[in-house]
Amino acid sequence: MIELKNVSFAYEKNRPTLKNISLKLGEDNENIVGIIGPNGSGKSTLFLNLVGMLKPSQGEIFVDGVPIKYGKRALNELRKKVGIVFQNSDQQIFYSIVQDDIAFALHNLKLPQAEIDARVDRVLKELDIESIRNKPIQYLSGGQKKRVAIAGILVLRSEWLLLDEPTAGLDPDGKRRMLALMKRLVANGQKIIVSSHDMDFMYEICDHFFILNNGQIVKSGRKKDVFLDEQLLNDCKLEQPWLVKIHQKLHLPLYADQQDLFNQQESELKGREQQ
Amino acid sequence: MLVIDKYAYTNRIVNWSPKIKGLVWLMCMVIAFQPIVWLKAILIVAVAADTIFVTKVSLHRYLKWFYVILPFLLLSIIGIVFTMSASKTQLYFPIHLFGNYFGVSKAMLPKGLLLGVQVLAAVVSTYWFALTTPFRQILDLLVSLHLSNLIIEETMLMYRFIFIFIDSFEEIHRAQNLRFGYRNIRTSLHSLSILVKMLFEQIMVNYEAMTHALDAKLYDGEFKVGKSRPQND
Repeated sequence: MIELKNVSFAYEKNRPTLKNISLKLGEDNENIVGIIGPNGSGKSTLFLNLVGMLKPSQGEIFVDGVPIKYGKRALNELRKKVGIVFQNSDQQIFYSIVQDDIAFALHNLKLPQAEIDARVDRVLKELDIESIRNKPIQYLSGGQKKRVAIAGILVLRSEWLLLDEPTAGLDPDGKRRMLALMKRLVANGQKIIVSSHDMDFMYEICDHFFILNNGQIVKSGRKKDVFLDEQLLNDCKLEQPWLVKIHQKLHLPLYADQQDLFNQQESELKGREQQ
Repeated sequence: MLVIDKYAYTNRIVNWSPKIKGLVWLMCMVIAFQPIVWLKAILIVAVAADTIFVTKVSLHRYLKWFYVILPFLLLSIIGIVFTMSASKTQLYFPIHLFGNYFGVSKAMLPKGLLLGVQVLAAVVSTYWFALTTPFRQILDLLVSLHLSNLIIEETMLMYRFIFIFIDSFEEIHRAQNLRFGYRNIRTSLHSLSILVKMLFEQIMVNYEAMTHALDAKLYDGEFKVGKSRPQND
């Protein structure tokens, strides 16, 4: 579990980006935690604090009950436990060939070659990018690059995976794949923290939410707790997911995701036909 | 995107061992710099024809790639063959200038032409190698030659980031062009200076982001480049 206690962070003095944040990530039954906030709300800054790349100016972060220490060795241990994938794929792929880049972190850990090969093969299969393993990076699509960037962190087999705006710039197919991938990872026991302002995506995938606005957590809870207050979301420059809108405006039940809606409506239709 | 790079992955001999291709290139270089001129001429024609055959590139496009080197080559030849002399007899096409004669030196002309043929032969051979060898194979070749890791690392990183750099350059250039940034020499110079400034700023911003990404991947100061794994697909 990751816990923040009264964490503040400021790039410039007296202009804090994060203001006195206290929260717990990864309590029971919270496998995908969503951090929702508009541009400039401090999502990325929060993530950089979670992996020790930035140090809170006040407060402390605890991982499994132990406060983060900022020595080089301690940070390496932390990053084996908490992996992070950034928004811009081009800034985190360093090798020119896909499988070389995915193996990069494992070479840095000085693992034996056989182990590296096995882990890389496994991740390539898991992310469905085996066919591009020998391709040069510059010929990949945005969605493929994103998956290569994620693969490069997944090989570390960290307990936590932080995804910063994973759907930014992806086409609908890329988004669908991302959704499926995250569901698969969680089914395998991966814990994920994801930040985004793609409301429908977040509504569909996360099981716990924190709404971040102006460096503060303004609301947190589960699906039915955080999305019903339209005014609050508008004030945060966000909007309600469409499933919540049809729930409130058309008085349909609140469905957990698209599939849920279609399944239930279909069985209702069938029921009516039989009558 | 560099079109030239695409051919390296789609040519007829892409699966040849990089060592063989390296050896062929080396032989071509030896022929290019040995003293017999007609051999060089044959080399140019043969290798150029072979390049067009194996890469299936159109003749027009192939010739266009030589525009890049032609100015350099011509300038060096011009610099060698044109000279000032006191006597008319040492020159072809002498022009009387400031009490001396200016023209093409009889002694230097063959040397200049020889240089031209030599360089052309070397360039044609190098194009052949570059157009038929995918980058991963070039890395394999460097690794099996036991070159220092620093050189290999540098080569690998350059190949990765040159494309990002070219892309940024083109994006900025296009945006400036759309807003008439290159209408005349004055605005062109101004736009170009802004372009360079922006590229420099981007380097600083990207540097910071990449440092974070390297930290996340536990970078310890070395990019390991080993031999590629045998393909099983």
